[in-house]
Amino acid sequence: MTRRPEQPDVVIVGGGISGASAACRLAAGGLSVVLLEKQDAYRDLVRGEWLAPWGIREAQRLGVYDCFSAGGGWEIREWMTWDEAVTEDEVEAVDMTRFIPGIGGPLSFPHHSVCELMAEQAVASGARLVMDAAKIGVTAGPRPVVTYRTPEGAHELRPRIVLGATGRGNTVGRQIGVTMRNSMHHWGGGMMVEGLDSWPADVQAMGTEGDVMFMVFPQGYGRARLYLNFPTVNKHRYRGPGGVERFLAAFELDCLPDRGKAVTEAVPAGPLSVWPSVSSVPEGPPVVEGVVLIGDEAGNADTVLGTGLSCAMRDSRTVCDILLASGDWSPGAFTPYVEERNLRLERLDFGASIISRLHVEFGPAAVERRRRVRRLMAKNFAAQVTGLLNMVAPEDVPEFGFSEFFAERLFRETA
Amino acid sequence: MTEKKFVRVNDVELAYVDEGEGDAVILLHGFPDSSYLWRHQIPALVEGGFRVIAPDLRGFGDSGKPQEAEAYGMQTIVNDVVALTMKLGVKRPHLVGHDWGAAIAWMYAFLMPRRIDHLAVLSVGHPGVFANPSLEQRAASWYMLFYQFPGVSEELLRRNGWRLFKEIMGRDGDYDRYLRDLARPGALTAGLNWYRANRSPAAELRPARPFPPVLAPTLGIWGAGDKALLEEGMAASGKFVKGPWRYERVEDAGHWLPLDAPDEVNKLLLGFLGTERPAHEERRPRRRL
Repeated sequence: MTRRPEQPDVVIVGGGISGASAACRLAAGGLSVVLLEKQDAYRDLVRGEWLAPWGIREAQRLGVYDCFSAGGGWEIREWMTWDEAVTEDEVEAVDMTRFIPGIGGPLSFPHHSVCELMAEQAVASGARLVMDAAKIGVTAGPRPVVTYRTPEGAHELRPRIVLGATGRGNTVGRQIGVTMRNSMHHWGGGMMVEGLDSWPADVQAMGTEGDVMFMVFPQGYGRARLYLNFPTVNKHRYRGPGGVERFLAAFELDCLPDRGKAVTEAVPAGPLSVWPSVSSVPEGPPVVEGVVLIGDEAGNADTVLGTGLSCAMRDSRTVCDILLASGDWSPGAFTPYVEERNLRLERLDFGASIISRLHVEFGPAAVERRRRVRRLMAKNFAAQVTGLLNMVAPEDVPEFGFSEFFAERLFRETA
Repeated sequence: MTEKKFVRVNDVELAYVDEGEGDAVILLHGFPDSSYLWRHQIPALVEGGFRVIAPDLRGFGDSGKPQEAEAYGMQTIVNDVVALTMKLGVKRPHLVGHDWGAAIAWMYAFLMPRRIDHLAVLSVGHPGVFANPSLEQRAASWYMLFYQFPGVSEELLRRNGWRLFKEIMGRDGDYDRYLRDLARPGALTAGLNWYRANRSPAAELRPARPFPPVLAPTLGIWGAGDKALLEEGMAASGKFVKGPWRYERVEDAGHWLPLDAPDEVNKLLLGFLGTERPAHEERRPRRRL
């Protein structure tokens, strides 16, 4: 006996931040939703864990704000740059709590537990969650087809529309012919730690010294997410036996207070993962008949900028608004999304390339460049425009920050 | 832990855990907990030969969450417990309460002396002591005033990733789980309503009636690290107890005794419940010759 395939309004492929949040919003809006997640249970995959104030505003609009807090979100209030190019008396804390009225500083949170809570909330709103969904196939069209396997067998869905939200894996995008222009500037790695009790919980830190660029994002209660960015030649350094120890030891830096002792003595609280830091810009619109891509799957900037999750929230909110506004789900209905996203990614990609060149290049010439740029920024406040990209939405950053003229001026070797 | 059951009593749906066989022990949690607070006590008491019933009190956990503060008066909640025991066919249970659950248990004990066997109260002393708090206790209870402002308290606690709430809780109790419950629709207001209904300055102005004595054998347990409720509240509670009164101070525990000192609490409860006799035996009907 063959059963007629289930015909939900929406199938969302990928239960990460963008997919699960969309499932919450759409189910709450009265649509029938099936959410497919490939993991059998949510666990720490070492993903981005930082939501900018403008991303928090999107989360509030989506109705998933509390998932971040309940999943372990912690407001970070100050940003310190400890860097070999910054002398001790120049170090100052940037207050991150006042960029968007009514919203404090960025949130730092365990990615997987937030996804889990969002998936729970989506289910409570009426969505159907399928964990352990493997071999997901998507065929675009006016009545798209989604096939997948679970331990129970093969399944088929015939939704009205599919949201592809599989992140950098591009599982859906590849199947519907959305190709990416990829570029890689450096490598990165990350790990969760605990026992960081002497680190100020309100302070995130970044900086570059030697051949690493480090990031510390506290999550309260002595926990923190650590990231390193490093040149591609060192891509094997933090792998294999002793990799975790070498990763932690890399935070023993002259620029850090107490030579980074608070970090190097922390205790690993999750897996260590390393990856090539790739930025992917789609070569066509991330929308075809019956399928819309959101989140990292729709294209992403270098992780060094930290705006991937904020983008995911924006994508999810924009696409949900369109789906809930009318019954017209044809590709044309998503034109505002595609256009806004293009501009957004163009700006973020531009900003990320500036940050990468500035902070994730190593050696004497790079140090000298950072010193020079800092002097320029101290002299002319407007030169700090790229830093705004972390806090406010890309469209709210002054346009001159995205001109080749600005980049050329920033990196010009003579002052 | 086994599945929760549900029962509708007193205009509210209550979720509860019901395990084991023997004399019944009712476990009453406080703010912002649920029956989950008692996860270390339930198996120990079941093992000790008791039937353990642990409700999620109204406003918490999986139970109903009326949004109006008036629905959270102490007497109403005592009625929830009475109705629950009647529904479950329990005539004379032992009562164990922590935090708000202790306040409820005290009130139950002096209002219904015939419907209680033994009383064990953790962290929170007799309401008679709390009616005249020292300035030090008032200062420690600052948050109770802060919770009084409908809508405003909620917003201030929630904003910036529930930062203020997290700071108030610190690393006490099930601090990293509370938000999962409180972030559910209506849960925060429901929890704060306990304070609004019973701890408002207006409530303090209401004329106090003398408290009937507690006749049941009573065990008070207080953790030396409790920052919210001071020792005076528990230590001075004895004068409201006419039955045998015993006070235990646990050195290595804070406010959340059932979590901070599970073994010690289990030992105290198992050694106390069902071992003593009340001050007045209930009057037996005289047999006619």
